[in-house]
Amino acid sequence: MSQEVKKERPAPDPNSAKYKLNAIAMKAYADAQAAKDRGELIGWCSSNFPVEIPETLGIAVCYPENQAAAIAARGAGAKMCEISEADGYSNDICAYARISLAYAKIKDAPEQNMPQPDFMLCCNNICNCMIKWYENLAKELNIPMIMIDIPFNPDYEVSDAEVEYIKAQFWDAIHQLEEITGKKWSDEKYKEVMEYSGRTSRAWLAATSCAKYTPSPFNGFDLLNHMAVMVTARGKVEAADAMETLLKEYEENHATGKSTFREEEKHRIMFEGIACWPWLRATSTGLKSRGINMVTTIYADAFGFIYKDFDDMCRAYAKVPNAINLELARDKRVKLCKENHVEGLLVHTNRSCKLWSGFMYEMSRQIGETCNIPVASFDGDQADPRNFSEAQYDTRVQGLTEIMEANKGV
Amino acid sequence: MKSVTEILEQLKAIAENPRAQKDALIASGKKVVLTAPVYTPEELVHSLGMVPMGAWGGDIELMEAKRYFPAFICSIVQSLVELGIKGVYDGVSAVIIPSLCDSLKVVGENWKYAVPNIPFLPMTYPQNRKPEYGKEFTKKGYEKLIEELEKISGETFEDGKLAQSIRIYNEHNALMRELSEVLADHPEVTAAQRSVVFKSAFFMLKEEHSKVIRELLEALKEQKPGEAKIKIMTTGILADSPSLLNIIDSNGLQIVADDVAAESRQYRTDALEDTTALDSLSGKFCAMDHCSVLYDVEKKRIDLIVETAKNHGARGVLMVLTKFCDPEEFDYPLIKKACDAAGLPIILIEVDRQMENYEQAGTMIETFKDMLGKNS
Repeated sequence: MSQEVKKERPAPDPNSAKYKLNAIAMKAYADAQAAKDRGELIGWCSSNFPVEIPETLGIAVCYPENQAAAIAARGAGAKMCEISEADGYSNDICAYARISLAYAKIKDAPEQNMPQPDFMLCCNNICNCMIKWYENLAKELNIPMIMIDIPFNPDYEVSDAEVEYIKAQFWDAIHQLEEITGKKWSDEKYKEVMEYSGRTSRAWLAATSCAKYTPSPFNGFDLLNHMAVMVTARGKVEAADAMETLLKEYEENHATGKSTFREEEKHRIMFEGIACWPWLRATSTGLKSRGINMVTTIYADAFGFIYKDFDDMCRAYAKVPNAINLELARDKRVKLCKENHVEGLLVHTNRSCKLWSGFMYEMSRQIGETCNIPVASFDGDQADPRNFSEAQYDTRVQGLTEIMEANKGV
Repeated sequence: MKSVTEILEQLKAIAENPRAQKDALIASGKKVVLTAPVYTPEELVHSLGMVPMGAWGGDIELMEAKRYFPAFICSIVQSLVELGIKGVYDGVSAVIIPSLCDSLKVVGENWKYAVPNIPFLPMTYPQNRKPEYGKEFTKKGYEKLIEELEKISGETFEDGKLAQSIRIYNEHNALMRELSEVLADHPEVTAAQRSVVFKSAFFMLKEEHSKVIRELLEALKEQKPGEAKIKIMTTGILADSPSLLNIIDSNGLQIVADDVAAESRQYRTDALEDTTALDSLSGKFCAMDHCSVLYDVEKKRIDLIVETAKNHGARGVLMVLTKFCDPEEFDYPLIKKACDAAGLPIILIEVDRQMENYEQAGTMIETFKDMLGKNS
């Protein structure tokens, strides 16, 4: 049996964006635990719930999706999924949900623990699966659930009727939370949160747009890690500071000819879908070994929440990736492909995500045609390792590479 | 007066050949609008002089739809698109698809490109249905849909006409509820026959279906109930597979009540009096509950299944799970827990619209029957 020899890595620079971003992500868990230990009520929160609400109210929340991704990335996805399956949950259900339902039952996962919830904060702008998952947790744990319904928008624009519906729910959620926790909404605090969120978002958009440079000053897999902070902490001053640092680093990398993509950048692709967390290294290596840099993903656009007031914020939450129609979703991706000189599209057909994968075949055809780039897809899963084949991935990536090479006349 | 068997044969002919029904309606000058699962405002279509026809896919092999959907999207919506691509729906004026689950959200988006000759009319319902703002959003959604339906029908919407349509639909609801109760006392009506009563309702104008149901109710009064069978209740989205129904019948089981989306869930809620007919229709949706695609933190559907089964003397519950239907898959463990606590045996049979081999389902149902028989 061979033993892996780990190279000694230098201690991370505490002033680096990577260090700061990781610290924010870890602090979120520590803060929630500390709040729980103080006797405060804490929530479990879906990833695109308006973070401004708990942030303004000063309520600590944890994110089961981030926890499930961390558990899966650290190798316990299958173990946790099987616990839920033994309780009767189909293995066709989203693996994040299966992991989370298992965690609520066994209450311990050394890969990533977090405090148990006193209430659930649900928003279905990413999927309706979220409603079912949180309903079951609320029922099983006998705790309240606050539900913000942001329906899938079949139109290109968000209607005034939808904004009114969302706004009414935001205020309803705020009032329910005030009642549950005893904390009070402050317009002044909200303005502060909105300002930080704007700063963080602008820096994120600017940093991710550095992929316009050739070679790109960053490895796109970085975005998959950093977006956790964008989702959960963008209303915090620390997040604004960390994202501004990230932008500065990327600009410096460009100026000095450096990149966090350590290989020669032979090809530039867009990656579509949630990462295969249990197979992150395999999916990353399959690209890196061929000199393929994944320069952009829809996350680059999705989490730039820039809005001017409360109504505008409601509108922004109706425009997150899984809440928009095929045409708007396509146009956002086409823009990213064109601005970042993308040469190929790699699509993760994610068994866990019916909504993300359900019209991807048609949309990726249209993106490929509009941008004149090849498209390849592979089957995988965001958290259940059993739904991924390394051999299939390799074959598909090789096929994509060959077409990109042919297009360049290599 | 027609006999029960004659009426059921008449409904079977309609249930088994919706295409002929659609073609006949179009040939008679009617416009047909398809209504996808699970709930759509059929009354609006009806009030504008058009015929709403339920479109819940069909038991066919998926070929063309595979270009649009990965394999793990439910077969109801995939077969809906397959039928559209194959031209089975040709001649209809539009399809209304509500976005009540993730698979329904994506089917509409694919429909636009897969079946471009039939306009896609989205219906966006609120999940927060109980507060007033939920009702307001429903009404706004209906107003938007009315604009589209007016263009298609060439007619102008009138609240008075909608009130008439609502009366017809409420009356039909009441008859379907009554029929389900009456059939519980008639074990001689098979599960397959019970199914065509519900299925045919999707393909007929409701006033016409009501007429037939009234005849059926009268005929049932005259018919002596057959020998008792083992009573069960069904739950799920769809339970109309002929093979599955045959297994239920050949094992001597009788469906005495159901919580099936394509059956009784359609008829539980009436539109009540309100300021306008449109308010009344909006209120109807908001009053709906007990369904896997409608948000309910209390999960009252589960209690309803147990209560209904007990009230009807059902000895067990058969959950017909449409593969890849996550709203139902999420409810199952909790339904099972509640049934177990109530001492009510439950069996899960997974089906899809491409299923050909029912051997395993047959064995499971046979074992289930044996278990229920012993419990008697």
